[in-house]
Amino acid sequence: MPEVRIKTLPPPHGGKLVDRVVRDPEMARKLMQKCSAVYDIKPTLFKGNPVRNVYREIMSVCYGFFSPVEGSMTKAELESVLEKRRLLSGWVFPYPILFDISEEDFKKLGVGAGDWLLLRLKGEPFAILEIEEVYEIVPGDVAVRTFGTPEKNPEVVKVPFDQKHTGYNIYCSLNPIILAGKYTIINEPKLREPFNRFWYPPKRAREEFEKRGWTTVIAHQTRNVPHTGHEALMKNAAYIGDVKPCDGIVVNAIVGAKRIGDFPDEAIVEGHEMVHLAGYIKPDRHLVTFTLWDMRYGNPIESLIHAVIRQNMGISFHMFGRDHAALGEYYDIFATQILWSKGIPSFGFEAPPYAVDGGFYIRPQNIEEFWFCPKCKEFAYSANCSHKGIYSRYSGSFIRGLINEGVMPPPEIYRPEVYKVVVKWWQKFGYPFNNEKYLKEREERLEVDLPHMELPAHLKK
Amino acid sequence: MAKFLGVIIDEKRMAAIKGTPLEEKVESIFGGALRRLVIEVPDDLGQKVIDQFTKARFDARGFIEETPAAFKRAIFKRIAEMKELSAAVVEKVLAEDLEKVKEEAAKEDKELPVPDIDISDVLELQKNPVQKPA
Ligand SMILES: [Zn+2]
Repeated sequence: MPEVRIKTLPPPHGGKLVDRVVRDPEMARKLMQKCSAVYDIKPTLFKGNPVRNVYREIMSVCYGFFSPVEGSMTKAELESVLEKRRLLSGWVFPYPILFDISEEDFKKLGVGAGDWLLLRLKGEPFAILEIEEVYEIVPGDVAVRTFGTPEKNPEVVKVPFDQKHTGYNIYCSLNPIILAGKYTIINEPKLREPFNRFWYPPKRAREEFEKRGWTTVIAHQTRNVPHTGHEALMKNAAYIGDVKPCDGIVVNAIVGAKRIGDFPDEAIVEGHEMVHLAGYIKPDRHLVTFTLWDMRYGNPIESLIHAVIRQNMGISFHMFGRDHAALGEYYDIFATQILWSKGIPSFGFEAPPYAVDGGFYIRPQNIEEFWFCPKCKEFAYSANCSHKGIYSRYSGSFIRGLINEGVMPPPEIYRPEVYKVVVKWWQKFGYPFNNEKYLKEREERLEVDLPHMELPAHLKK
Repeated sequence: MAKFLGVIIDEKRMAAIKGTPLEEKVESIFGGALRRLVIEVPDDLGQKVIDQFTKARFDARGFIEETPAAFKRAIFKRIAEMKELSAAVVEKVLAEDLEKVKEEAAKEDKELPVPDIDISDVLELQKNPVQKPA
């Protein structure tokens, strides 16, 4: 008889967790001695507005969220990812991870393959890029190939990507010169409040699961303050497991550059935390975490980076809903579920990503929809409840409209404690959602502060 | 497919339509937790509304969402005045109230008055978080 119990956490993607953070200041000084130039990290701008900051990718690489990726991709690796969604090592990986720089800055730095570049963030030394290769890209081409086209990917891509798509804009706005090579953080940033208590890089997440005795864990992807529909989804999806429901429910928020009208990340992480502080899920079964990543809204492609992140954290199951990490109607609304139930051959998946070579141990839990049904008297699952005309479907934009009009959402939509978390940040930012002012300020503030670290003499101007 | 525009009916708005035929058109959603009036509009008129406001969009149910609160206020005012739930209400707002709506909407994008509710209970809960920084 096959063993049905799940006794261990899944292995990291690629077999080994990447940890490229130097915590010894003496070692950091030695490494900085080998650098030949300094570069201040700049945000990626689209029409003057920040849409990405490469520091988030450096954090996610060095703390192991993106294992086995260790840095900015070489030309051959980029080609392999765009063509097959595989690293050169054969492991599945969906997105180009690149350190881009303008021609002007590149000339000024005077660096090349074999040189080490010290990267500064908020005026302080932050990380080192060991330059292995320098090459050029055509950003528009990278953007198109990243997300696919209706011609090449007819299974799921409905219309060509354009400038209304934030993720597409991110790749279109990259600088043309790529410095490829490994990243190493040499000055560990301090996460700011309130993010610091939700910072669970893969190593720490796995330690926490072991401490709690969890072997079956399910991930909930979020970019929202949770309404009662999200809560029902989390609780019900967690009935998957082995001989009993999952030990743990892990919320992993994607924190990074966002869009106008989204909730601020501060309210998102604290809103999820309030679900356990106010007792709707016991805190010993619930963990709120986040990953630094400027969301690309790549629906099926994005679901693959979610699988990378969460398997690395030690998570065994992943909820995938309709319109997963989607924006607009570029992809089929079920694209992610198609990928995770039968595969998308044109993207390199003849079978689902858990059934291909170099694929995942994490298992999908493809979920339809929850709605509020007064007749069922519950947050009903769409495959159960047939009370059409009676149930009310959730709509994020409808709820934002309520808040915008100053109507307090009823407890059927928001737990009152969770709504009050929204109000707390509304008081602080003067606005319940991301507006232009918030987005601009947050990209200056970022999620981290850096301790002061002296530059080596040869790098001071 | 037709598109829809929903207007939330709170106590104040309910009072304004009391005794009119509109009263029985009010539908309850989320088990009676909220009430609303719904105007059905043809596709092209729906699109015309969307085109007026940068954030506005159709949601998965075909509802026009994320329009400014000022637009919803103007729609309700015209509903109450014309005592009907027809596309004509939306056309009237687009024809006559748009300039004022856009003016108010620009302010809305910068600041929204914080609801006057007591949040001390959640601040208290947050004083003892279960999760602590490493
Ligand atoms: Zn029902």
